[in-house]
Amino acid sequence: VVARVLGGDREAFGLLMRRYDSGLLRFATRMLGSRDVAADAVAESLVRAYRHLASCRDPSRLRTWLYRIVANRCKSYLARRTVADVALEDAPPVADGTDNEGALERAEQMALVARALAQLSPDKREAFVLKHVEGLSYQEMADVTGERIPTLKMRVHRAREALLQALEDHG
Amino acid sequence: MNPIDVRIHQVLDGELALERLPLELRVVVERLDAAAALLAAAPAVAGLEARVMATVRRPGPSRVQRLIRWFSVPHAVTFRVRPVWSLALAVAVALLTLVPINEGKGPVVGEHEGIAQFVGRFPDAQTVHVVGSFNDWRTGTIPLEDRDHDGVWRATVVLPTGTYEYMFVVDGERWVTDHLADRLIEDDFGRENSILIVRTARR
Repeated sequence: VVARVLGGDREAFGLLMRRYDSGLLRFATRMLGSRDVAADAVAESLVRAYRHLASCRDPSRLRTWLYRIVANRCKSYLARRTVADVALEDAPPVADGTDNEGALERAEQMALVARALAQLSPDKREAFVLKHVEGLSYQEMADVTGERIPTLKMRVHRAREALLQALEDHG
Repeated sequence: MNPIDVRIHQVLDGELALERLPLELRVVVERLDAAAALLAAAPAVAGLEARVMATVRRPGPSRVQRLIRWFSVPHAVTFRVRPVWSLALAVAVALLTLVPINEGKGPVVGEHEGIAQFVGRFPDAQTVHVVGSFNDWRTGTIPLEDRDHDGVWRATVVLPTGTYEYMFVVDGERWVTDHLADRLIEDDFGRENSILIVRTARR
């Protein structure tokens, strides 16, 4: 698909998007704390990715390459503003009338966790989300962040401890 | 922030089986897993693909537009030079800086000679010459020039070291004292001559 896009088939980029955009959007949302801001960041990142697709030397690593672009874009956003205090907007909507109570409880838990995550420093937040939410290996995380694997392991460990502490503080 | 048991990290990193963890530690693992599961819910944003594809489908800037943009945007220009070439460049710059570039082009000055510069302001003059004891007071041998027609006439000559008396001769007939000279001296005809001291140019 990458070769098709590079060959001038612009529509093929839609295929790439559909494959990766939900994960990228989730990652950006967890990093920035706001779905709308994250959507802006991901849209800008994908346009940038399209324009620089030729510089992605290893298409087999396209996924981590895209995550890297989004991660950098999120850092640019975070440099300009603090993480939004996460409200219930990121919780799944209460759509099923038969299970309103369960959905509401889940939404509250989601808000609690999102607030706790927002307490982490951007580096720790990125490490936790890439590892535990996006399910990347440490090697893939190294490709995304440019950090060494031992550094990332230590960062994930610290992020887990910080998140548990924040959950206790908010719980 | 309290550090958590290293075995919890080992389980979460896939280095230790959950079953080998005491029950009280499994609770912590489950709590982190539950948090991650909640965060894994994918937020939906309508129109993201359409928004990106609208930009992708838009025709890119023409070659001329890209060229104009390239020239109007600041660029960092990086030269990658092999150390041997950078060393050669440094030597060349040093030579150009340290060796006088007019070597051989200026007046040739002997061991017992010096350079004398004559400058006088004569706005209406047609010709100006300098005469003195260095040329036996003969006119026409050392002319001054006013190349930019600003009225200031100049001449640079090489003379044997020594002390000389001199005057300017304007338009071939008017003898004028150079009052900018360091010293003046009265001559046998009741006029004032200027004094020029020429010192060796070599050190």
